[in-house]
Amino acid sequence: MTLATGAVVSDRRDSGRARRPAGTGRAETLAGWLFLSPSLLLFTLFILGPFVAGLAMSLFSYDLLTPPRFAGLDNFGRLIHDGLLLHSLRNTFVFALASVVTHLAGGLLLAIAVNRGINKVLSYFVRTAVFFPFLISWAAVALLWKYVLDPTFGIFGYYLRLVSIDPPDWFTDPAWALPSIIGIDFWHTIGYTFLIMLAGLQTVPSQMVEAARRDGANRFQTFFHITLPLMSPTMFFASVITFIGAFQIFDPIQIITRGGPDDATISAVMYLYQTTFQAFQVGYGSTIALAVFVVIMLVTLLQFWGSRKWVHNA
Amino acid sequence: MFGSVLAGCGGEEDASPGGATSGTVTFVYYGDANAQKAYDKLFTTFRKKYPNITLKAQGIAADSWAGFANTVATRLAGGQSLDVVQIATEGQRIFASKRLLEPLDPYIQKDRAAVDAYYADTPPNLRKWLKEYASPDGKTYFMPGGYNTMAMYLNTDLFARAGLEVPQAWTWEEFRTAGKAIKAKTGAFLGVAASGYFTDVMPWLTNNDTSALSADWKTAQYDSPAAVEALTFARSLVVDGLAPKPGGNLEAATLMAKGKLATFGGGRWPTNDLRRVRFVDKVRLVRWPKNAGVGSPVGWDAWPILKQSKNKDAAWTLIKYLISEEFGDAITTGGGGAVPARISDATGADFLKDAPQNTELLVELLKDATPIPGPDRGAECQKVIEEAWLQGISGTKQPQAALTEANAKLQDLLR
Repeated sequence: MTLATGAVVSDRRDSGRARRPAGTGRAETLAGWLFLSPSLLLFTLFILGPFVAGLAMSLFSYDLLTPPRFAGLDNFGRLIHDGLLLHSLRNTFVFALASVVTHLAGGLLLAIAVNRGINKVLSYFVRTAVFFPFLISWAAVALLWKYVLDPTFGIFGYYLRLVSIDPPDWFTDPAWALPSIIGIDFWHTIGYTFLIMLAGLQTVPSQMVEAARRDGANRFQTFFHITLPLMSPTMFFASVITFIGAFQIFDPIQIITRGGPDDATISAVMYLYQTTFQAFQVGYGSTIALAVFVVIMLVTLLQFWGSRKWVHNA
Repeated sequence: MFGSVLAGCGGEEDASPGGATSGTVTFVYYGDANAQKAYDKLFTTFRKKYPNITLKAQGIAADSWAGFANTVATRLAGGQSLDVVQIATEGQRIFASKRLLEPLDPYIQKDRAAVDAYYADTPPNLRKWLKEYASPDGKTYFMPGGYNTMAMYLNTDLFARAGLEVPQAWTWEEFRTAGKAIKAKTGAFLGVAASGYFTDVMPWLTNNDTSALSADWKTAQYDSPAAVEALTFARSLVVDGLAPKPGGNLEAATLMAKGKLATFGGGRWPTNDLRRVRFVDKVRLVRWPKNAGVGSPVGWDAWPILKQSKNKDAAWTLIKYLISEEFGDAITTGGGGAVPARISDATGADFLKDAPQNTELLVELLKDATPIPGPDRGAECQKVIEEAWLQGISGTKQPQAALTEANAKLQDLLR
């Protein structure tokens, strides 16, 4: 028995070798590493290297202008009691959740509208119009919206006043500043989510939709029981990248409100920037960066864990 | 790994066999793409005169002088080798106190005649303030450059339409009264309520005989009754509809040219905007309205040699050129957003040509001016000051509450 099994194993090994010329395995491995090396080099230089440097930096007190001083775990201790960090994380979570919800819902609705046989010319126009803002740099978008929402001369306020609505102070009222940024982000970035959703929608097999219709399902039933489950991997992908992107929000806030009024719009990345490059606390800034990294990783893992309950994997 | 390049003291002198200074000099200055073009023209003579020196002039576009100083510090920490840096009031103290600069006294001794001629033609206040605020050990680290005081740009056309005389001097209440008449007769706004530290906060404070910090920059006094009164007045302009609400994107020169704005504050730099919109002739510079006192903030740039410079002699040659009459004349005709350091240039015909009437006021204002406080943690202080002022003028917080809160933060930053 033992011999027989050994013979089988031996035969399998031999047959494997027989199909592959001697030395090919090593050559393939080498070729594999060669192909990988540019990416690995870039990854090491721009991701792994800075990450390790940041990790090391978090153990130091460093003001850029004088040599760094070893601080042990002081920066981590400070992290725990930093109210402004918690506040910035709260703002970032609010922004990220609002982004995920509005982008997913908005992107899906727009994709459905474009996918449902409106005439071709209009469809292309809508695709271009919705995607176009995404091509404009954040700096230009931020300045543009500062003009549009100018409380005295802005065109948006002008139209609101025409219908007897007194516009709020979009960027100077703490209650309105973050929602305004969320709105601007929606306008700027929805095109990207829309394209992802449209691509996902077009992968839904038309036979399944037709079969459901023939079985008597109405539009809503077809959508909720066929289209949506088949779209769930796309929606999951969109939710992960939207969340990660939202967590990195910086440009519009820096240009429009600089984190104000009264820290109402300060985001985690902005706080990290202010600490590192305005307060010159590079060590503590690195610790914040590490904290933000851990938070993003935890939330992403949570999303993956949660996805088992709602993402339909064919 | 952390590159403590800043502590390094390169001292290697690079002189050619003929004794003429040579080597590469990297000069970093504050400026956007337009300023970079203008600066490059200004250095044509230098390059011709000193062919052995390779001058690398690099402009950094930043949103403020504090931001510029931060960018320079980041570049230095990143290992970039810089020789001469244009540093404004907001950054002079920190650069000197961190021992990043080379004392200029031996060079001044060597070229005493050129330096004395320069000092004789520059406002003595600039030298005095540099000694007071940016010379922690009594040594000279900076040669003063251009400066800005704050005047008010006034639309003479709107004043005439409202039947008002252009004031020589005016009080806050006279300013408000003029605004009401202008609003009633032309529909234009009187001025701008904004929160820029130098441009909006400090002028109201200095014209009420106060400042954000004490004279030695060691104590915060941003919640003084005079400061609260100043903020309350600035807020009242918004409440009364005499100033547009803050939080938008105002282009003051454009609005003034369109007849929608009667006044706005500025130093020399808005002249370039007014030229762009072709509205120079109908504008006159007047003093900022006063209350308890008369005053103006003043900020100036200055040129030090960095300790890390490997070509200090060549760097000094560049500074000598920057303080020369030749350069002064060139910068006067080449535009720029500051008043030239040389009095002869700042009051000369070239400077006053195609400029608003009474532009010489900018020089006059130096007499009553207060240096813009630039403590070690200046960028953070500036953020706190601007944020509180914005809260006050937008009505998010009561002036007293906004300034009391900000004052506590400032005091923390000054420790």
